[in-house]
Amino acid sequence: MRRVLIGLSLLLCATLPPTTYADDGIAVQDPYVRLVPPGAPTTGAFMVISNSSAADRKLIRAASPAAKTVELHTHLNENGVMKMRPVPDIEIKAGGRTELKPGSYHVMLIDMTKPLQEGDEVPIDLTFDDGSTQHIAAPVRRIQSAPAMPAAAHGGMKH
Amino acid sequence: MKQRILIASALILGVLLVWLAFFWQPPATDTANRASNDTPGSHAPSLPPGGDFSLQGPQGPLSLADYRGRIVLVYFGYTFCPDVCPTALSAMGQAFSMLTPEEQAGVAGVFVSVDPERDTTDVLKAYAPFFHPQIVGVTGSVDDIARVARQYGVRYMKQKADDGKPYSVDHTSFTYVIDASGKLIAQLPHGSPPQAIIDMIRTLRK
Repeated sequence: MRRVLIGLSLLLCATLPPTTYADDGIAVQDPYVRLVPPGAPTTGAFMVISNSSAADRKLIRAASPAAKTVELHTHLNENGVMKMRPVPDIEIKAGGRTELKPGSYHVMLIDMTKPLQEGDEVPIDLTFDDGSTQHIAAPVRRIQSAPAMPAAAHGGMKH
Repeated sequence: MKQRILIASALILGVLLVWLAFFWQPPATDTANRASNDTPGSHAPSLPPGGDFSLQGPQGPLSLADYRGRIVLVYFGYTFCPDVCPTALSAMGQAFSMLTPEEQAGVAGVFVSVDPERDTTDVLKAYAPFFHPQIVGVTGSVDDIARVARQYGVRYMKQKADDGKPYSVDHTSFTYVIDASGKLIAQLPHGSPPQAIIDMIRTLRK
């Protein structure tokens, strides 16, 4: 019974539109989770969070049934050494927006409960410092580091 | 007031000098020597020596020398890496898939794990080809990995983790370009787009 309930709630989350607005002025746009190779135990969720309210807001917690542990992280580049570190919160200034993107802030999913496939929707609950929560569904995407050049640009390229 | 600042600065500098003289050991002196002995003008003087290595690949021992005649891209990372390594390996894979079949036949990618404790050959076998079938993952003993990393000027440091949580590994993120003769030609910085990799490969093929 419990499984059915979890399944149903997952399904419900998955049907939510990718952008969710709430009364508190926080909006989450273009959330996605990086598709990682089979067996890779971690991945990152990325998104743009904007804050149209008059008060600074902080994302203080993220949770997801897709991973055993979910943390807020950032990357520091110190003399070429890439350091990943947990952060207590991610601030979104009043009237501003904060981008969670590769090489920077991300929601880190650690020990995924099942392998993620391209197109899966990962439900994530984001909790802010005013006590509000946003439920988002982040599709799993294969991230290309830059738009691929059109095939026509390479005479010899055949698939 | 100004004088005090001057005296303080002089003192700090003095202490620093004494520390340098007694305690500082230049890292990898052999690296610096070998790099400067290379043919002048062949690459930036700061490039590490690089060179051959033998580690464990998906089908047993794998040496850089096995790829002689091909351009090899080498990247050091680990499979628990959620973002930095996938970004670099995606760029490599994307570059490979944008090459002509003929160009493709002349390249190879090697992913060297800096986390040999967790990255077994089996783990790497599933991981590396995801980015492109021509990328193989290699690992080895802690000492072997440390030696290869030194050759390539790679710095990495395992981080402490809270109990029960997996640790992360700080590491440099360069893509090393090795020419058909096995010589390290360039190190591409993190975030290099696929086109930069392709340009490098095409320049070397000329």
